[in-house]
Amino acid sequence: MKAVCWMGKSKMETLTVPDPELVNPHDAIIKITRTAICGSDLHLFDGFIPTMEAGDIMGHEFMGIVEEVGKDVHNLKRGDRVVVPFTIACGNCLFCKKKLWSACDNTNPNAHLMEAAYGYSGSGLFGYSHMMGGYAGGQAQYARVPFANVGPLKLETDLPDEKVLFLSDIFPTGYMAAENAQILPGDTVAVWGCGPVGQFAIASAFMLGAARVIAIDRLPERLAMARSIGAITVNYAEDDVKVLTALKDLTGGIGPDSCIDAVGLEGHSSQLQGAYDTIKTAVMLETDRPVVLRQAIQAVRKGGTLSIPGVYGGMLDKVPFGAAFGKGITMKMGQTNMHTYMKPLLERIENNQIDPSYIISHRITLEQAPEMYKVWRDKKEDVTKIVIDPWQ
Amino acid sequence: MSALNEKPNAEQLPVSSGAAILQDGHYLPPPEDHDGKLWARTTVLVQATPQELYNLWRAVENAPLWQEKIEEVVVTGVKTSRWTMKDGDKTLTWTSEILADEPGKRIAWRTLDGDVHQAGEVIFEPAVGDRGTLVTLLMEFSVGKLASAWESLVGRNPKQGVVENLRHFKALAETGEIPNSQSAPHGDRGIVGKMKRSLYGETVPTPPGATAI
Repeated sequence: MKAVCWMGKSKMETLTVPDPELVNPHDAIIKITRTAICGSDLHLFDGFIPTMEAGDIMGHEFMGIVEEVGKDVHNLKRGDRVVVPFTIACGNCLFCKKKLWSACDNTNPNAHLMEAAYGYSGSGLFGYSHMMGGYAGGQAQYARVPFANVGPLKLETDLPDEKVLFLSDIFPTGYMAAENAQILPGDTVAVWGCGPVGQFAIASAFMLGAARVIAIDRLPERLAMARSIGAITVNYAEDDVKVLTALKDLTGGIGPDSCIDAVGLEGHSSQLQGAYDTIKTAVMLETDRPVVLRQAIQAVRKGGTLSIPGVYGGMLDKVPFGAAFGKGITMKMGQTNMHTYMKPLLERIENNQIDPSYIISHRITLEQAPEMYKVWRDKKEDVTKIVIDPWQ
Repeated sequence: MSALNEKPNAEQLPVSSGAAILQDGHYLPPPEDHDGKLWARTTVLVQATPQELYNLWRAVENAPLWQEKIEEVVVTGVKTSRWTMKDGDKTLTWTSEILADEPGKRIAWRTLDGDVHQAGEVIFEPAVGDRGTLVTLLMEFSVGKLASAWESLVGRNPKQGVVENLRHFKALAETGEIPNSQSAPHGDRGIVGKMKRSLYGETVPTPPGATAI
């Protein structure tokens, strides 16, 4: 089959690789009909996530048709149409029973690597480094899906792929971000980053009762998209715009009730601290560039909530923890507990409450993917979301 | 009487526990390595009953399903079994004898003869708060025998090998399989990629657990 492979930092190649095979009794092989490039794939492209190996197949947002199932998969059969969650969960461990699916104990074969770095291991992920499981990803024509009895969402609807594909990650991720923001009716919510997760966080904040959502980015096309679903926009790259001042101006000086950092470890800043973090990460004194996290901690109101769907990977420097403590804020974060959200969010799509395909800007082939990684990284061609048809 | 009399869900202060983790309610660290002996102590929390887990462990002939590099276990008596560990053309064999066998609670064993000198104890006890079963595994190895053999054969520090085997045991008990990504398709790894695989421990084959078909 054809697959997009990570061949080193800033180097992707579309290669012919062996087809996946069933390994375990709860496996399924999925023929992929649509897949996508995620913002978090850029962290791999840019070499920020350790334990990637040359040859690794990328991609964790995919859907398709069941080709083959293992002997203990009884809920799916050949021909079923499914969306696959990017986190793999066994359904039986203590964490799955608590519905903390992304904390599953039993799906990361390389748990010892993550234990060494994080103390404990989270669930395995598709196409997201060996520390996170070493599973082949979904920017390919086929994928092996472990615990297919637990994860994949079977579609009984004839909605087109593009409307349901984002149930594989970014829509639930944006939704959980809004849920983690503990929004009460009438609240004001600020969202940093108007990429796909930010878009769905904005949409979900409104769904959960926010009265005002303030969207912060530097790219006009993304800010326009945020305004199209009802957000007020702030472009931090415009002359004389200071995000903290803007947020005070827009909230009568008290700050947003909730802040959502949908940027994560590769934040950009037009200020001095941007250069500071770039230098420190370059000489490996710091692994992440937490400019948004710092700003969001400063910005959130007293007693407010900070929700972090943006990915952080390692050691952060100069995080204003005194401000977090002094204001008594709550912070919630983590990989998405996908399995909780997929079905209810599918119902919202079926009921026409939201059409997630509004974020798509590019439709490409697997061969075009390596080049599009660069376009995506450099934010050229007004790119907002890249969807791949692996059979084109 | 204590100064605190409101603790509706608290367990009784444990006097002691298996594998010497607690004594009079106080935590004790694992035994220190000394006199050429290595110790490994590790625990997992498993969503199954102590009896189910005891049964899975006690069926020693099934150990190749979940223990790394164990090729074959042949039961040779009520309390004895013959073990074969294999890697390529290198083979280690030994006889194991069960010293203590308390159904649903505890198994202890030691090697009698062969290429390996080790002893071990596994304890199954209900976890506090009805959260499943706490499995504690304590193993002792003689340096130079199993330890070095395991290191060269299995490609892991032997203590980590104990941790990984108990992890496999938990996965098999909870899900009926052991997570495995080693056969994932991939593009050309190059020389560095192959070195990294070894570094990540991926050159140790994941035990089969169960088959797909």
